[in-house]
Amino acid sequence: MAATFFGEVVRAPCRAGTEDEEEEEEEGRRETPEDGEVRQQLARKREVRLLRRQTKTTLEVSLLEKYPCSKFIIAIGNNAVAFLSSFIMNSGVWEEVGCAKLWNEWCRTVDTTHLSPTEAFCVFYHLKSNPSVVLCQCSCYVAEDQQYQWLEKVFGSCPRKNMQVTILTCRHVTDYKTSESTSSLHTPFLKALKTQNFREPPCCSLLEQPNIVHDLPAAVLSYCQVWKISAILYLCYTDVMKLDLITVEAFKPVLSSRSLKSLVKNIPQSTEILKKLMTTNEIQSNIYT
Amino acid sequence: MASQYDRAITVFSPDGHLFQVEYAQEAVKKGSTVVGIRGTDIVVLGVEKKSVAKLQDERIVRKICALDDHVCMAFAGLTADARVVISRARVECQSHKLTVEDPVTVEYITRFIATLKQKYTQSNGRRPFGISALIVGFDDDGIPRLYQTDPSGTYHAWKANAIGRSAKTVQEFLEKNYTEDAIANDSEAIKLAIRALLEVVQSGGKNIELAIIRRKQPLKMFSAKEIELQVNETGKKKEEAEKKKSKKTA
Repeated sequence: MAATFFGEVVRAPCRAGTEDEEEEEEEGRRETPEDGEVRQQLARKREVRLLRRQTKTTLEVSLLEKYPCSKFIIAIGNNAVAFLSSFIMNSGVWEEVGCAKLWNEWCRTVDTTHLSPTEAFCVFYHLKSNPSVVLCQCSCYVAEDQQYQWLEKVFGSCPRKNMQVTILTCRHVTDYKTSESTSSLHTPFLKALKTQNFREPPCCSLLEQPNIVHDLPAAVLSYCQVWKISAILYLCYTDVMKLDLITVEAFKPVLSSRSLKSLVKNIPQSTEILKKLMTTNEIQSNIYT
Repeated sequence: MASQYDRAITVFSPDGHLFQVEYAQEAVKKGSTVVGIRGTDIVVLGVEKKSVAKLQDERIVRKICALDDHVCMAFAGLTADARVVISRARVECQSHKLTVEDPVTVEYITRFIATLKQKYTQSNGRRPFGISALIVGFDDDGIPRLYQTDPSGTYHAWKANAIGRSAKTVQEFLEKNYTEDAIANDSEAIKLAIRALLEVVQSGGKNIELAIIRRKQPLKMFSAKEIELQVNETGKKKEEAEKKKSKKTA
């Protein structure tokens, strides 16, 4: 025990350690039933559920087991989602096959019928005319502890190897590490990262070291690398993280890739759809003029 | 590394960076594009108008502001910082007129704004102004001027320049297209400004604002109709040039 300048008595930490201290620590470590219950409740709350939206029933198997595909295109983040909505989804009739519902401190997926790129959601579609093409639009943040659950629920524990996965996402340019001066970078720009099994030439230059990918895109790509699935991630470095026309258009080189080429029909119409999307969802910020 | 040296404005990093100033330059890139052209007898300022909310009064959101009868400026970056800088510059213009009985030169007021900005990069507890400005006008000698200031407090004279979002694209366009022919007369200079803006403005004339100053004349703001007319004429000229090119190649 020691007295401070102000006369209060404080317990001085003892490096020798006494029996009393050990007992107190053990008590602290022992979990009470309430703690256990809270932990279980939190785990249940953070569970990733894959539902059939129309019936709101949970899918019994993983999504790609139920809907096997040869092409799986995933858009993560609102700019990538807007790109798929404008350039790919207007090319045919896409049927919704499921949605992921999850909760974490940063997002709660919404339950509306008309989803806008500024809301948080994760929806899966397949092309009616060619059900082997599956698309995922994910604009919600999937936390680290939820990523493995998401992968298991979508890919399953033993995924098919003969499919090609294309992931589109964005990152702020301040995360891009380069020896060049940042003022000489022409943002937005595209970089690619692929698995060993991906054989085609990418639509842009590869992501140089020591840059790394984060969050769900990294989890998907790692999963594909482990399971020897052909996958490529297109990462757009931008200086505007909110929904932005120029950032969305930076993904255009990806339209020439083998996965997406056959899905693109009408580019001028796509550009119009994109403009509409921008004007209806523009967040009016008056901070910058 | 940056996080240790970027909180206080007065601290240099070991490699000589003032991170707050560099971050302020990032804030400028969040503002919409501004282009300035110095012609032979005219100076032109063109800006990309930001779309306003439905219930918002559009007239209040102005990127081009007169500092005096013969000088005006357009900015890109933090709106509130621009309001403060413009207010101080306007007071200085009048104060100068009262004191020396002469209007400010464009260079004087630019230097004033740049000095003000520099002070805020060297004071404790203050952050830099998050705006870049293009200042245009005519001096008494009748020579047109275009200056640019940035958050660090530097200023330079330019023949043509752009600031704000996508400024690089516009600068590259200007480097290719700013020729003696392009600024041969007032109308050509205005068209050059519009063409430069149309490189980055998505929805055409309705999102462009234009202002000019001619020698011995006050600032003139173009109306929406006049801008539309200029944009259409620029479009026609572009089509004609493309037809000629395709005929030549054929």
